[in-house]
Amino acid sequence: MTDFYLIVKNMTRKPLRLFLTCFAIFIAFLIFGAVTTLKGALDSGIDLAADDRLVVVNRINFTNPLPISYYRKVAAMEGVRNVTHMNWFGGYYQDPTQQLVTMAVEPESYLRVYDEVVIEPEQRSAWLQDRQGALIGEKLAKIHGWKIGDRIPISSSIFSHRDGGHTWDFVVSGIFTGENEQYDTGYLVFHYKYFMETQTFGGDTIGWLTLTTEDPSLNEAVAKRIDESFANSQYETDTSTEKAFNKAFIEQIGNIGLIIFGVVFMAFFTILVVVGNTMALAIRERTGEIAVLKTLGFSSARIFRMVLSESLLVALIGGLAGLAAAWFLIEGAKAAMARFLPNLVMGGDTVLQAIGFMLLLGLITGLLPAINALRLNIVTAFNRG
Amino acid sequence: MGSLFSQIATVTVMNVRSLPRRLWMSLAMVLASAVVVAILLAFLAMARGFERTMDGAGSEGTAILMREGAASEINSVISREQVNLVEASPGIARDAEGPLVSPELYVIVDGIKKSTDSEANIALRGLNARGMAMRENMQLLEGRLFTPGTNEMIVGAGVLREFDGFAVGDEVRFGKNVWRVVGVFSTSGSAFESELWADVKVIQSLYDRGSSVQTVRAKLENPGDLAPLEKTIEQEPRLNLEVQTEQAYFAGQGKQLQYMAIFGRVISFVMALGALAGALNTMYTSVADRAREIATLRALGFSSFSAFCGTLAEALVLAIAGGLLGSLAAFLFFDGLNASTFGGSFTQVVFRFEMSPDLLLQGAWLALVIGFVSGFFPAWRAARLPVIVAFRNAA
Amino acid sequence: MSEDVLFQLNGVSKHFVRGKEEISIFDNLDMSIERGDFLAIMGPSGSGKTTLLNMLGGVDQPSGGEIHFDGSRVDNLRESELTRWRAHNIGFIFQFYNLMPMLNAARNVELPLLLTKLSRAQRRVSVETALALVGLNDRARHMPNQLSGGQQQRVAIARAIVSDPNLILCDEPTGDLDRKTADEILEMLQLLNREHGKTIVMVTHDPEAARYAKRTVHLDKGRFEQREVAA
Repeated sequence: MTDFYLIVKNMTRKPLRLFLTCFAIFIAFLIFGAVTTLKGALDSGIDLAADDRLVVVNRINFTNPLPISYYRKVAAMEGVRNVTHMNWFGGYYQDPTQQLVTMAVEPESYLRVYDEVVIEPEQRSAWLQDRQGALIGEKLAKIHGWKIGDRIPISSSIFSHRDGGHTWDFVVSGIFTGENEQYDTGYLVFHYKYFMETQTFGGDTIGWLTLTTEDPSLNEAVAKRIDESFANSQYETDTSTEKAFNKAFIEQIGNIGLIIFGVVFMAFFTILVVVGNTMALAIRERTGEIAVLKTLGFSSARIFRMVLSESLLVALIGGLAGLAAAWFLIEGAKAAMARFLPNLVMGGDTVLQAIGFMLLLGLITGLLPAINALRLNIVTAFNRG
Repeated sequence: MGSLFSQIATVTVMNVRSLPRRLWMSLAMVLASAVVVAILLAFLAMARGFERTMDGAGSEGTAILMREGAASEINSVISREQVNLVEASPGIARDAEGPLVSPELYVIVDGIKKSTDSEANIALRGLNARGMAMRENMQLLEGRLFTPGTNEMIVGAGVLREFDGFAVGDEVRFGKNVWRVVGVFSTSGSAFESELWADVKVIQSLYDRGSSVQTVRAKLENPGDLAPLEKTIEQEPRLNLEVQTEQAYFAGQGKQLQYMAIFGRVISFVMALGALAGALNTMYTSVADRAREIATLRALGFSSFSAFCGTLAEALVLAIAGGLLGSLAAFLFFDGLNASTFGGSFTQVVFRFEMSPDLLLQGAWLALVIGFVSGFFPAWRAARLPVIVAFRNAA
Repeated sequence: MSEDVLFQLNGVSKHFVRGKEEISIFDNLDMSIERGDFLAIMGPSGSGKTTLLNMLGGVDQPSGGEIHFDGSRVDNLRESELTRWRAHNIGFIFQFYNLMPMLNAARNVELPLLLTKLSRAQRRVSVETALALVGLNDRARHMPNQLSGGQQQRVAIARAIVSDPNLILCDEPTGDLDRKTADEILEMLQLLNREHGKTIVMVTHDPEAARYAKRTVHLDKGRFEQREVAA
């Protein structure tokens, strides 16, 4: 027999209570793990956006177009290294609910600006030469099972094809991967020229410009230069870093997200308070037994350690099980959610945070009874019992 | 011993009176019940508020026409020629001035949100007097309507609440265009309140839209009857349009928040399981705590049924107290809470959490269920407690 | 002080403060207990006999006076020192047995051995020996609630002697038992005293129980009324 044996025996003396306590903790951490991961996935768009890329959009709103002439004008500006332009296609595959992130881009400059896009040289030149060619991300290819050379019909919820309908046929010229694993490859890009020739509105407007500067320290100056040079024109611009742009976009989900997370976290802490109370009382019930141990000659420090270990153990068993369940839940939901939340991964910081809360729960609920045990006067304890 | 009823009453009163003695345990139970009720109510109030905003916007009596394949107003384009063809269609209500049809433009502009101090999308809708008349619940709260042909606009009450710089008299700049706010309108909380309204012709010229619009709204001759319009579209090849009632359109736009409501229900259900475990624990401990007391009563001749009822009543009292506390907290924190999120057309929809009596009733039911479940099993144990416990030593 | 004296109490007093009132349990108490003694302390409820026992066991401290154990003073030891001293020198037997409900008989007996440096094998031998001495070898795997009161008290005795202390303190050891079982327990204590040389101090209000002791002291209103009782 060891102290650990005593701790385990103490813990399991009322199996039903232990089960209920662990279950409540399990639920609390299941929700904590799942919701924190969800929140992390929502925020990840901000973190992954490059800080040294600038986005130029129409000052009125990013959904309003800019004239194509801005592409040449910005490219000629001092401090600009590479610039490309993009149009939002509003694409979907077969069914309007199966949305695809699809953009019409200027191919060569696109690959220069988005240098984290990795592609085989022969696929690259194949794409550049084929007007109808599309470059698709590895993730997209996986979801739909598309291979190089496949003909894929992509529809637009915004534009109409000159030949009638809203569906464009593309040929998969290449499949790209990201420079690092976090890079979201769940999108498709195709030739701007092909887009302009085949859609009914015609014209030559672009959605927005993305550019890199000679040096990130120039960003502010370049942004200012761009916006100033188009001030008072028919199309004023608003230039910001890609990160700030993404952040503003995500913030548009609104305080709804904030309210939901606030409510969930409040509930998480309340459950911990309720459970902690039970755990603390469970130990307090044993005052008499602790007095016996002390009488037998167990030192206060030793009893203190045993009491604290017990509540830590309970918190960790319930908590880690909950966290593991959250992990399985997320892994299971990953495929289904891949299109909305590409970065649904339980991060190390979530795990660490959760373990921190478990330790805190164990310490706080164990500390008070443990201190009481430390101070316990054997005589009064026996009189009480 | 008196009647069963008086036995139960005696035991119940005794249990409830001894609650303060088990103060912390009792509080834990109250808290567990309160948090579950509060969470459920928060999500329900959110869903209710959003629903109200979306439902209120859509009328059965109005048809909305958009380009075929356009999922929302922002994606649609309709030419002047097509508008004329629609106006000539049967099935549309008419008055002395002709068919009740409103060609509308929908532009997205930036506003500065008060809550985050960052830019967010607002819908700027171009419409005419007929279009405004078509929104039956529209009311001018302040100022006056815009004068057609000028850079004047009126703002929805929701925009005024959530965004900076849209008070009556303010000048607002979108790009190089300057607008003047002349009035504030309400549409009894519906999604239109999250928009800015101005003259459709002015927007056409300022935003290079020529004579095209994005959507056409038409007052139906018979509410809900789209058949004549559908027939017109079918027979006229130039009309590559889709028609649906406005109500159906907004119901579709509200879908994504329905997911949030489902998410909320799932979370509250799972949380309820956790809290239930806590509550059960409390009641089991309460029974263990009073084992001698219960056994002594049983020895005196009280029936086991009265012991059962006493414990169940204790759980119900605590759970209901928690339910009240949770409802009160939810009401204080969430009722009327301003919220905003992305609506269907890439624009902000402003809405209010709405805590109505029927939601509070749902919360009360939940509290009762928690009380019953967390009381039943421990009460069962209390009823089956052997009388002999009374004579054993507490050690 | 004689070599044979195990406990020496000099002018020991004990006061309680209850509310504003100061209650004196005893004042200026002198007493000595010799090695190998079997002393019964009798007295009416509230006479302070349990308090006296607690002070002997180092569980309670006197308000004044000195307590010497085996020639050294113990009343002024710090709590941690007292705890260690208790673990080495004293076995306790309580009225309500005070076994750990979640441990079986053998584990309960083994409990005090966790405080020693004995190996697992050595501990098992000690536990078996102690259980054999109280005649409960066949009940080693039973949980306390599967044992009768007398059996539980025998487990408690085994627990008290397993680490081989010199002194055994008993607080109403038969208070919860019927006559026949009580006699068995008392005979066992007598055996421990006679055959194994344990010094035993027993608080009881039962004159029958006191007859098993070598001598009995009567405590009343904080004073001894000493008379020898033939064993």
